[in-house]
Amino acid sequence: MTAHISAKAPALPILTIDDLHIDFVLHTGTVQAVRGISFELYKGETLALVGESGSGKSITAQAILQLLPEPVRYTKGSIEYQQQQLIGAPTAAIRKVRGNRIAMIFQEPMSSLNPLQHIGHQVAEVLIEHKGINRQQAAARVLELFQLVEIPDPQRRLKSYPHELSGGQRQRVMIAMALACEPDILIADEPTTALDVTIQAQIMALLKNLQQKFGMAILFITHDLGVVHQFADRVCVMRKGQLVEHGITKAVFSRPQHPYTCELLDSEPSGSKPAVSQDAPVVLDAKNVQVNFPIRAGFLGRVVDQFRAVDTISLTLRQGQTMGIVGESGSGKSTLGKALLKLLDGHGDIHFDGIQIDGLEPLAMRPLRRKMQVVFQDPFGSLSPRMTIGEIIAEGLKVHEPLLSPRQRDEAVCAVLEEVAIAPSSRNRYPHEFSGGQRQRIAIARAMVLKPRFMLLDEPTSALDRSVQIRVIELLRRLQDKYGLTYLFISHDLAVVRALADHVMVMRSGKVVEQGPTEQIFSYPQQEYTRELITAACPLGNAAQRAHSSA
Amino acid sequence: MSGYALRRLLQSIPTLLVVITLSFFLMRLAPGGPFDGERKLPPEIEANLLAAYNMDQPLYLQYFDYLAGLLVGDFGPSFKYKDFSVTELIWSGFPISFELGMWAMLIGLVFGIGFGCYAALRQNTPGDYLVMSTAMAGIAIPNFVMAPILTLVFGVMLGWLPAGGWNDGAWQNKVLPILALALPQIAYIARMTRGSMIEVMGAQFIRTARAKGISERKVVTRHALKSALLPVISYLGPATAGVITGSVVIEQIFGIPGIGRYFVQAALNRDYTLVMGTVVFYGGLIILFNLLVDLIYAWLDPQIRYE
Repeated sequence: MTAHISAKAPALPILTIDDLHIDFVLHTGTVQAVRGISFELYKGETLALVGESGSGKSITAQAILQLLPEPVRYTKGSIEYQQQQLIGAPTAAIRKVRGNRIAMIFQEPMSSLNPLQHIGHQVAEVLIEHKGINRQQAAARVLELFQLVEIPDPQRRLKSYPHELSGGQRQRVMIAMALACEPDILIADEPTTALDVTIQAQIMALLKNLQQKFGMAILFITHDLGVVHQFADRVCVMRKGQLVEHGITKAVFSRPQHPYTCELLDSEPSGSKPAVSQDAPVVLDAKNVQVNFPIRAGFLGRVVDQFRAVDTISLTLRQGQTMGIVGESGSGKSTLGKALLKLLDGHGDIHFDGIQIDGLEPLAMRPLRRKMQVVFQDPFGSLSPRMTIGEIIAEGLKVHEPLLSPRQRDEAVCAVLEEVAIAPSSRNRYPHEFSGGQRQRIAIARAMVLKPRFMLLDEPTSALDRSVQIRVIELLRRLQDKYGLTYLFISHDLAVVRALADHVMVMRSGKVVEQGPTEQIFSYPQQEYTRELITAACPLGNAAQRAHSSA
Repeated sequence: MSGYALRRLLQSIPTLLVVITLSFFLMRLAPGGPFDGERKLPPEIEANLLAAYNMDQPLYLQYFDYLAGLLVGDFGPSFKYKDFSVTELIWSGFPISFELGMWAMLIGLVFGIGFGCYAALRQNTPGDYLVMSTAMAGIAIPNFVMAPILTLVFGVMLGWLPAGGWNDGAWQNKVLPILALALPQIAYIARMTRGSMIEVMGAQFIRTARAKGISERKVVTRHALKSALLPVISYLGPATAGVITGSVVIEQIFGIPGIGRYFVQAALNRDYTLVMGTVVFYGGLIILFNLLVDLIYAWLDPQIRYE
C-alpha cells in the first residue's frame, strides 16, 4: 500500500512510523489505543491523518514527539526521524527535536498557551532554547515571525496575553512558535477545529503559504474531510487505532476502497428540506427583537453603555418549518434563540401560538414552556449527572402533567426512548454511561416527551462526529415529519444547516446579513459575507457525490 | 487598580458594621456580665460600677456610644484589666503575635510549596505518599498535642531550647512556638500546592511547553509554578490574618504575652469592650488581608482586571 507518487518528494522519508503499537495501562485494564500503524512522511508534503474521536490519530501525533502522558507503553514498532529512533530516545535527544526539528500546534489555542505569560515571551522561549540567542535577538525574531503569520499590530502584540487575542490570532501565535526554528516537520493536531469557518480558511491558507516558503512537511490531524480534500496531498484514514486506508487524497476521495472510508464520506450531511406551504399556521412570530447587555464601568459600576447582542431582528416560523440561523461565534445567534423563548430578557413583540409572550410573567409562561423545548450543544453538560435518564426525561412530565400516575409516566418515558432509538430498558442508567450521540438523543427525548410544537436546537450536532451527527439529523427529520414540529436550528456548521433547514438566516454582529430559502442562499448568496462563509466552509462538493455513486 | 482598592475599602465599612452590630448585641444576650462573680456585689456598688461604665443606659444608647468611640479610634476601657484601655491591651500583645505569626506563615509557605511540588511531580510514588501522609498527620494532630510534644522533645529531652516562657523575646524562646504554628500551615499548603500542581501539570499549555523542547525543570518553574500557586495565594489571606492574631493554645502552652489569649478570656469574663475590640481588630485584618490577596492575584493573573 505505498500510495506515494508525489513528484516533489525525494526518495527518503524524513519520518517513518512502522508498525506502531501504543497501550495505556489503566486501573481498569490495558487500552490498546494504536494497533499497528505504519506510514511515511516526505519533505514538503501534507499528509492528513483522518478519523473520528477515539481513532487514535491524536495519540499517534503526540507519540512522535514522545509527549504522551504516563502510563503509556510503546509495546511494538518504531518512529524514526531521519534515521533517529524516537521511541525510548534519551530525554536530551528528544528535546533537541521538539520545537526545533519537529514542531506541533494543537487544537485549543486558548488552553495551549500559558495564560500568565506575554505571547512574545512564549515564542521567544523556543528560540532562546534551540538557537542559543539572547533575549533582544529573540525579540527581534519574534517580531518577524508575528509579521510572517500576519498578526495585526505585531509590535504591540509582543506584550499581549493570550486572553487578549481572538481564537484565530492565538492559533497564529502557536504557528509562529512552531515555525520559530524552521522545523522539518509541523504536526498540526486539529488546528482549526475550535475556530469559526472563515478563520479556519485563513489559518489553512496561512499554513499552506508558509509550507511553500519553508518547505516543511505537514502532518495534519483532523476529522474534517472538507479540509483534507482541499489541503492534503495524501491521506491516512484511521479507525480504532488502525490504518484502514492510505493513498493520494484525490484517489481516496473518488474511489474509496475501505467500507469505513465510504461511510465517512457518506456521513457528510446531504439532502434538503422542501419549504412549507404559506398557509401553514404561524407558530412563532417575532418583531424587532433586541437584546442589550449593559456595559459597566467607573467607580460604582454604573451602566455607561449598552452592548447590542441582537439588533432588531424579525422572523416568522410556520408549523413544520425549519429555520437555520448561521453565523460565527459572537454573532448573537444563541442570544436570539434564548430571547425568543424568553430564556433571557429582550425587547420586541413575540407571539407564540398566537399568544403574546413578551412581558408575560414566568408563572404565566409555564404552560407555554411545555410547547417550546430546547436542545443544547453540549450533551455532556446539559444532562444532570446525578439523575438516571429515566428521571431526566420524566421530570418535565411531573411539572406539566402532575396527574399522571408513576406507571403512566414510565410508559411515556419508554415510548419516547423507543422513538429516539434508545433501548427503554436502559432508562435506569446514568448519562455518563452513554456516548455523545446517545446523550444528544436522550436530550431530544427529554424535549419530545412533552410533545412540543416548537424546538430550539442550539448547535445540537456540533460536538458530535460526522457519522454520529448524521443519525441525529435523521432523527430530527423523522420527528419533524411525524409530529409536524417547527425547528429553530442554530449552527455554525453550514453543511448541517443546508441539509436540515428550508429557510436560512445569516447573522453577524447581532444583525441579519441575509435571509431566504436555503437553496437560494447557498446557490446565489447576495452578500459578500454570506459568500465568504459558504466558501470557507469548503464542503466536499463533488467528491462526496462521486463517492456516493461509486459506493 | 488604586480606585479598586479604595472602593473595596469603602465596601468593607458596611461589612464591619454588620460584624460589630451582631457581636455587640449577641454578647449582651449571653447571660452574665462583667461584674458577676462568685460572691454577689452589694447593689449600691454594682449600680456605681454600671454607671461608671455607662452600662446603666439603654442598650441602643450604649451601642451608639460605642460606635461614636470607634469613629475616633477609641475602643473603650477594659472591664477586667482595670487601668488599661482595650487599645493598649491589643497593642501590647499584637506585635508579639504578629512576629510569631509572620515567621510561621513564611516557613509554612516555603516548606509547604516545596513539599507540595515535590509530591506533585512524583505523583503516586512512595515519595508522594510519604509527604502526603505526613501532611495529613500535621493537619490531624491538634496544636495542643503538637506543642507539648515539641516541648518534650526539644525542651526537655534534648534540652536544646527553653521549654516555655517569653524571656523578653529571646530568639530561643520563639523557635518552638513558631514551629508549632508553622507545622499545620506547612501541611495545609503542601496539600493545596500538590493538588493544584497536579492539575496544572495536566494542562494543555504544559504540553505546549514540553513540545518546545525545554527541560522539565523549566517547564515546572517557568510555566507551571505560577499557575499552581494561585489557589494557595487565595488561602493566604484569611490564614495569615488568623495566624498573626495569635493562638490561644500556643500562647498559653508556651507562656507568650500575645493577643491570642484575649479572644477567649475576654469572652469568658464578659469583658464587653475587649471582646468588641478583638472582634473589630480581627475583622479589619481579615478584610485587609483579603484585599491584599486580591491585589496580588490581579498582579499574577493578567486575566483578572479590577475596574
